[in-house]
Amino acid sequence: MRALEVQNLNVAYGKVQVLWDVSFHVEEGESVCIIGPNGAGKTTTLHTVSGILTPLSGRITFYGEDVTGLPAWELAERGMSLVPEGRRIFPNLTVLENLMAASYMRRCRDSFEENLEMVFDLFPRLKERRDQVARTLSGGEAQMLAIARAMITNPRLLMLDEPSMGLAPILVSKVFRSIQRLRERGVTILLVEQHVPVALRVSDRAYVLENGRIVLSGTSEEVASNKKVREHYLGI
Amino acid sequence: MLELLLQNLVNGILMGCVYALVALGLALQFGVMDIINFAHGEFVMIAMYLVFWISLYLAIPGSLTSLIVAPIYFVFGLVVYKLVIDRIVGTYPLAQIAATIGLMVLLRNLALAAWRAQPRGLQYEVLRGSVTLGPVVVPISRLTAALVSVGTMLALHWFLTHTRLGLALRATSDDMQAASLLGINVRRMFALAFGLGCAIIGIAAAFIMTFQQVNPESGLTWGLISWIIVVMAGLGGVSGVLLSGLILGMVEALEITFWDPRASLAVMYSLFILILWVKPRGLFGRR
Repeated sequence: MRALEVQNLNVAYGKVQVLWDVSFHVEEGESVCIIGPNGAGKTTTLHTVSGILTPLSGRITFYGEDVTGLPAWELAERGMSLVPEGRRIFPNLTVLENLMAASYMRRCRDSFEENLEMVFDLFPRLKERRDQVARTLSGGEAQMLAIARAMITNPRLLMLDEPSMGLAPILVSKVFRSIQRLRERGVTILLVEQHVPVALRVSDRAYVLENGRIVLSGTSEEVASNKKVREHYLGI
Repeated sequence: MLELLLQNLVNGILMGCVYALVALGLALQFGVMDIINFAHGEFVMIAMYLVFWISLYLAIPGSLTSLIVAPIYFVFGLVVYKLVIDRIVGTYPLAQIAATIGLMVLLRNLALAAWRAQPRGLQYEVLRGSVTLGPVVVPISRLTAALVSVGTMLALHWFLTHTRLGLALRATSDDMQAASLLGINVRRMFALAFGLGCAIIGIAAAFIMTFQQVNPESGLTWGLISWIIVVMAGLGGVSGVLLSGLILGMVEALEITFWDPRASLAVMYSLFILILWVKPRGLFGRR
């Protein structure tokens, strides 16, 4: 089953168009990444897919249903989950309250206890800090909380926007190890990342986005061995 | 002099609780949706008239009308949200200022046209008399108003911290975009916050009427007091609003004792400016 299908997406901020005919797809159970330089339109792509932005034209299909233009909360109801850039945890709520807020949707309530155990198992650090106010967490812990929060919603598609942003290298590999673990559990993942080597390592397929256009796509191995990608993104 | 000071301080504390309750309605709306509602004081004024008329026509005590005015005002809040606020939330501050100042002028002039400038006071009220504690005389009406205010604040605090809906409101207040990504319909949260804020005004208005009269200009004072408290509390939760209300009540008491009662609004406003200077994020603010 195709989890996400994006066809000919055109998106603009006011009069400035930032995405041009962007098309890609994610199969159920697959891990896909979109890589590209700063300002290429990666975050815009995720914002449009998750309903924060409305496209000028194009079609977004989620598990066979046309969801173009639906508001973010309704897409979340259908199983889309975005871990936003900059984490966006609720600073004045405790760690546990952050996770409880994620079980607001009716379809997430019964599975909350089970999911809570699952994310505490995945991130034991969060269990230790469960009653701490979230704004006191370190960057790495905050990123883990953001991912955990998304996992509480039973996502049918987990989208991650620059999970490595602002993290020390050791934390980057820690966060990506947990993404790898989610992948092994069969979670469908769409990852957007500037940190290309680690992104390719946890993905089955990759798209390269430059200046608002998809310029290259293929399996992660194919993309990693592409001459241009090696020069520009992998520094080899 | 000491007795006068003591008496005024007790009055100030009781009034401070009521100030805090009125400001809480505004703090809730401002905290959840970042909206600047200049018509808040006029909402209080209209609610006071509502209390007056309901009490008169149903021949029930003004304090009892809170049970009717609060739900009416909840619905009033939802309607105002749908008609006005929903269109300006998240837009330019200038649009919010223009729309809510427009609402303020509209309500004030409607009140003036409908009821003239003549002040109205309750005909029926059971909360009369006073208790004497040593040198201090405590009017039953003000004491009840203060107790109801604190009780309502505790109830709201409980709602925000112990219910799923309350948690969703706090999450929306912290980061509305992140909340919507978790399936929280933030527009519904805005409507709820606005309705609840107005219901709180309805409760407050009923008990304010037990010791005060209303005229079409009453909104000015209540609006100013509410904004001072919200700025002082700085999104510090229910307890911050209560503490700020008490501080304002006591500052007013000291001013009345040592200077001139007619200058109390001027002193309060000076306090407001002072806080903006020294602690622009408020005394109890978290962000």
